[in-house]
Amino acid sequence: MSNEEDGAVPLLAARDLVKAHGRNEALRGATVELRPGEILAVTGASGSGKSTLLHCLAGIVRPDSGAVTYGGERLDRLPERRLSELRRTEFGVVFQFGQLIPELTALDNVALPLLLGGARRQEAQASAGEWLERFGVRGQEELRPGEMSGGQAQRVALARALVTGPKVVFADEPTGALDSLASEQVMSALTHTARESGTAVLLITHDAQVAAYADREVRLADGAVLPLEVGV
Amino acid sequence: MSADLRLAWLLTRGSDRREWWRVALTAVGAALATGIGLAFATVASIRGRYSVSVGSGLLDDASDRQGVMITLLMLLVPVLGFLGQCARVGAVHRDRRLAALRLAGATPAQVRRIAALEAGLACLTGSTLATAVSVPLLLSLWQHPEPLAWVGMALVAVAVPVLGAAVSALALRRVVASPLGWVRRVRPTRGPGRVFGALTVLLVVLAAYVGLNMYRGNRLGVALGPLTVFATSLLLGVAAVWLAGWSSRRLGTALAARAQRPALLIAAERLRDDPWATARTHAAVLLVTVVGTAFAGIRAVMLHIVNGTTPLSETNAYYTTGLDLTAAAILLALALTLSALAVGTAESLASRRRGLAAQAAAGVPQSVLGRALLLETALPLAPAVLLAGAGGTAIYVGWAELIDDAVGPVPLLPVLVPVAVYAACLLAAAMSLPLLRRSVRPAELRYA
Repeated sequence: MSNEEDGAVPLLAARDLVKAHGRNEALRGATVELRPGEILAVTGASGSGKSTLLHCLAGIVRPDSGAVTYGGERLDRLPERRLSELRRTEFGVVFQFGQLIPELTALDNVALPLLLGGARRQEAQASAGEWLERFGVRGQEELRPGEMSGGQAQRVALARALVTGPKVVFADEPTGALDSLASEQVMSALTHTARESGTAVLLITHDAQVAAYADREVRLADGAVLPLEVGV
Repeated sequence: MSADLRLAWLLTRGSDRREWWRVALTAVGAALATGIGLAFATVASIRGRYSVSVGSGLLDDASDRQGVMITLLMLLVPVLGFLGQCARVGAVHRDRRLAALRLAGATPAQVRRIAALEAGLACLTGSTLATAVSVPLLLSLWQHPEPLAWVGMALVAVAVPVLGAAVSALALRRVVASPLGWVRRVRPTRGPGRVFGALTVLLVVLAAYVGLNMYRGNRLGVALGPLTVFATSLLLGVAAVWLAGWSSRRLGTALAARAQRPALLIAAERLRDDPWATARTHAAVLLVTVVGTAFAGIRAVMLHIVNGTTPLSETNAYYTTGLDLTAAAILLALALTLSALAVGTAESLASRRRGLAAQAAAGVPQSVLGRALLLETALPLAPAVLLAGAGGTAIYVGWAELIDDAVGPVPLLPVLVPVAVYAACLLAAAMSLPLLRRSVRPAELRYA
């Protein structure tokens, strides 16, 4: 299924992406679209190019060829400064682990994008506190990442990704380091909040149970999207 | 800027013990640089002939003061090396943190500013302390310092933190490139590259030119004598550093294929994986070895002449004080480079602690890891120190033959300098073994 068929204008689109890391070609002409408010799962075997696709779509790395379009703008041609601004205001990024800053408390980690944008600390912390509550980690504000469990840390990371009210959240194996219960809690919190706020989510996973939370699934193999799209 | 300052403060406040070590060591390095800079500014502000109460007359004449100023500038080299090693403390962790900031939306300029503010604050602490100690000391020696001295001191006190901040921002250019900097970070495996090669060629040409002039007995060549010694010392230091990297690669490749013992195998693979690690860590030590060996020999020759049957002046204190002060400066440089070496070795361990913890958790005994650590230092350093020592010896032997045919037998005691330096390097590596024991705790596997 594509946007031409259902008439929806894609929020984010990648066309014929090619990206190589040294001699290893991670993406070989991948094409994918994300619609507003949609939760899209990108699945595939390890090494199929899922993470590289996410990095290209989030403007973290530039593709060698092909185009990434976001709201009519060519993302792959934007200067670094504009990409940083997008990540701070319209994109949220969550990885498997490691994106929280160890020196900052949970509250300050969530407040970070607002602080980087020049918000006053009290306002930023107030907003961060609300998001921590929505993700069920209220009371853990003063903990640093090293003092949290994996599930808590991921929920804090999700709160940080959503605190600016982004239009897209990029989640790369967000439950990859969690047990099934914590995984379920994190995915429920993410999808519930995304649907509530109309945020689109690009979800990278190799786990069928996690992919089941998505509205749509595309499968990647050898750096290209397989022809069959699965409606979940 | 206020948001950046607030974040820099939050990050510093939340730092762990290792980060605080970095801040403290950076402050110490900045204090030393400021102290040397203040001494330089004070000596430079003296005009014409002046009777100075310290230094046995070494600071009285303008020409002698120039020599002292050059020595002070040379002393800045090991201090900068020390600061460089301090900046490496927690570098991997810090790079990840800054990449995480970029991922959260910080612009490259914001990340540079935050890092610069962190480093600048540490340098400002050291600079302020050094100035606070130096000013009363100066006033106790010099009742009415020239206005130029105050201006120079103020400039130094401000310049050190500003330069510290600027260098810190510059050093982050590779990490700033991408929010995934910590994932895609590329280590220099081919050595210092074209700049290193160009410098070596330049030095070879310079040394050949000056040497040829001296061989022909040209006055220019004689005038350039000290320059020849300086250029030759630098050239030998650079060659020793290159040899350390080259031999690391060769030894690593050769031993990895033949090693029968696990410690040797681990050390060989590590040398092969990052052959320039030893060269980077020991560069300043090797340079000081060349200078130290050469000076120890030159000093022995000079003392032989000064204390000989025909005194050069009514009092020899003028000469012996100069020699002793230079010796003290070289010893200080050696102490600084060895301190930097200890810091570098500890940092190398700390940045590899997760891998070491994984090896320990998989059953590799601590004693094997400890031996591997010592071998990583001992193997590539041996030929490099040998070259540095031989080069230093050649310099002082050449010097002795050049200045006088009747200086007596060339002293052999200075050849012990490279042996002592090699032993000190191994000792510095051994001192990090207690840290190894802490690093290999399986709990370290929890932290990336």
